[in-house]
Amino acid sequence: MVTGSGPEVDAGLRLEGVRAGYDGREVLRGLDLTVAQGELLVVLGPSGSGKSTLLRVIAGLEPATAGRVWLGGRDITGLRPGRRNVSMVFQSYALFPHLTALDNIAFGLEVRSAGRKVAREAAQEAARVAGCADLLDRRPGQLSGGERQRVALARALVRRPDAYLLDEPLSNLDAELRTSTRAELRALHDRVGGTTVHVTHDQTEALTLGDRVAVLRDGVLEQVGTPEEIWQRPASWFVARFVGSPPMSTLGPAHPLRPAGPAGSDADDVLVGVRPDAVVLGGTGTPATVGRVEVAGADAFVHLDVAGDALVARVPLAGRPASGDRVRVSLVPGAVHVFDAASGARVEP
Amino acid sequence: MTHASTRPTEERRDRRQLALMAAPFVVGLVVLVLLPAVATLGLAFTSYDIVRPAEWVGLANFAELWDDDIFSIALVNSLVFAAVATPLRLLAALGLALLLHRRARGVGVGRAVVMLPTAVPEIAYGLLWLWLFNPIYGPVNTLLTTGGEGGLTVLGRTPPPWLTDPNSARAAIIVMSLFTIGELFFVLLAVRQSLPQEVYELAAVEDATGWDVFRRVTFPLLAPVLVLLLLRDSILGLQLNFVPALVITDGGPPPYATTYLSLFVYRNGFEYLRYGYAAAATVVMLALTVAVVVLQWRLVRRYRAAWLRLARD
Repeated sequence: MVTGSGPEVDAGLRLEGVRAGYDGREVLRGLDLTVAQGELLVVLGPSGSGKSTLLRVIAGLEPATAGRVWLGGRDITGLRPGRRNVSMVFQSYALFPHLTALDNIAFGLEVRSAGRKVAREAAQEAARVAGCADLLDRRPGQLSGGERQRVALARALVRRPDAYLLDEPLSNLDAELRTSTRAELRALHDRVGGTTVHVTHDQTEALTLGDRVAVLRDGVLEQVGTPEEIWQRPASWFVARFVGSPPMSTLGPAHPLRPAGPAGSDADDVLVGVRPDAVVLGGTGTPATVGRVEVAGADAFVHLDVAGDALVARVPLAGRPASGDRVRVSLVPGAVHVFDAASGARVEP
Repeated sequence: MTHASTRPTEERRDRRQLALMAAPFVVGLVVLVLLPAVATLGLAFTSYDIVRPAEWVGLANFAELWDDDIFSIALVNSLVFAAVATPLRLLAALGLALLLHRRARGVGVGRAVVMLPTAVPEIAYGLLWLWLFNPIYGPVNTLLTTGGEGGLTVLGRTPPPWLTDPNSARAAIIVMSLFTIGELFFVLLAVRQSLPQEVYELAAVEDATGWDVFRRVTFPLLAPVLVLLLLRDSILGLQLNFVPALVITDGGPPPYATTYLSLFVYRNGFEYLRYGYAAAATVVMLALTVAVVVLQWRLVRRYRAAWLRLARD
C-alpha cells in the first residue's frame, strides 16, 4: 500500500485545502473534510454551493486547483478518474440507453477485463442487493424512474470501490418514492458498508440519511457534524436558517420574547433565532395576533405577529388557533440560538 | 354544441392552409422531378435526337445497353467507386467528428477546414485537383517524392502517374471524394455532441479505455445515424463522381477508366444526342440505386442484433 506523506494514513476519504473552479470563478474555496471508512457523509447545500463540484473533484472529473485528496491511504489528487477506485451514481443515472440493465451493471467489471461470466454473476448479485434483479433484461427506456435508480445503484455496487459517490440520487423521484428509497438507501449502506459521500439539497434527506452531515455554502464548509449536532447546535446563522422548515424565526433586538438570559443575547450585535417547535401558545406570555395558519399533517404552523415582529410556532393540528385570534406566546426556556451578527458564528450560551 | 359545429370548418381551413404551404414544394417536385422522371421512363423506349420526332423502339435501347462494352465498364466503375468511396467517406467523417467534437483550442478552425472543400464550387474543386495531381510538378507528388532521389519516393518507388494511368486515375477520383465530406461530418458532429456527457463521465470513472468507450458506447449510440448516412451516401456515391470525371479525367484514361454511369448518360445524351439511349441508361442507374439501398437496408436489419452484440462483448 502506498502511504505517501499524508498527515495520518486513514483508509477513508480525506480532503485537505481543496480548491476548484472554472472560468475564473472559484467554486470550492479551501475545503478540509474527512470521511471515516464505512461512514455515510451527506453534503448538504443550496444549489450553486459547490456540492456537485466537490463530488466531481473527488471522482477526478474536475481537477483540484489546490489541495490534496486522499482515499484508502493513497494520494489520488493527480490520478485519472478510472484509477481512483470510486463508484459514482449520477443525478441523471447516466445509464447506457442501448444496453440492458444487466449489461449496464456489468459494464464496470467488463471494461476492467473481468471475465464475462464473472461480470454477469457479480452483476446479478449486485442487482439482487439493490432490488432490481427482476429487471435485468430490460433497457433503460423500458424502466421507470425508480427502477433506473436501482439499476444505477446496482452498477455502483457491482465493484468494491474505496468510496461510493452519490450525486442527488433521489432528486428525480417523486415524493413518496423518495421517502421509501431514502430508507432503503440507509438500510443498504448498513448492510454493504463502504465509505459514502451523498450530495443533496434536501435537508430532510441529509438529516435522516447521514452518519454525519457537512453543510456547504459558497464553496466553504459551514459545519460538519452529526444530524443531531446540526439540528441542535447549528454552528452558524446560515446552518440555523437553512436546516429546518419553516426556518427559525429571527428575534430582533426589540422583540418582546428575546431573552435577556444567555451571554450577549441582549446586545445588538447578535442574531437570536428560535425554531417553531420551541414556541409555546397559550397560558401566560406575551400577547400576539395569529396571521396565516398552515396545516402540515399532524401539526400546523402558526404565523404570529408579536408587537410587529414575526414569529412561527408549531402546534398540534387539533389545538391550532384561527387566523385573527389573540393568543399568548412564550418560548421553551433555553431553546434560543444566538449568533454573532457580523460573522454569523454561533455564540456559545 | 357550437364546438362540434365549428370543428369541420376549422379542420377544412387547417387542411387548406397546409395544402397552401406545401404547394411550392409539391409544384417544384412535380415539374422538376416527377415529370422529367416520367418523360425519361418514356424516352427510354424510344429513339430520339431532338431533330426528328421520337420513335418507339420498344426494348431495343436496353438490348443495346446489354451488349455495350462501354456501358459495362461504366457500370463496374460506378459500383467499385461507390463500394470503395462510401465507406471511406463515412469513416473519414466519423473520425474527424470524434476528433473535433470537443471544445478545445483550434477545434473551430479544424471544423472550418473540414467543411471548406464541400463549400467550394465543384468545377473549381476539380480544377484545383487537376493541379494537385499533376505528376510532374503537382504538390501531391512533390510531397510523395520529398526525401527521395531522382524523382522517386523515399522507398525508392516511382510516384503514381495520377490521372494518366487507369488505376491511378480511379484512385485519384476516390481521393478527391474523400475531402467533400462536410455534410457527413457535420451531421455526425451534431449527433455526437447531443450524446449525454454523464455517460462518458461514468465510463471514465469505470476506467474504460478509448477503444472500449468507442465500441461499447459511442459506436452503438451513433449506429442508427451511421446507417442513414450510409444509405444516403450510397445514393450519392453513384452520382458524385460526375464533375471530376468530366473536368479532370474526361472519362479516361483509356480504356474508359473513369467513365461512370453519370458520365455515360451525359455523353450519350448531350454529346451524341441519343436521348432515348441515355434515358434507358438512366433508368438502369435508378434501378441499380434502388437495388443497392434495398440490399443495404436488408443487411442492416438482418445484422443489427449482431452489431449490438459486437458493441457488448
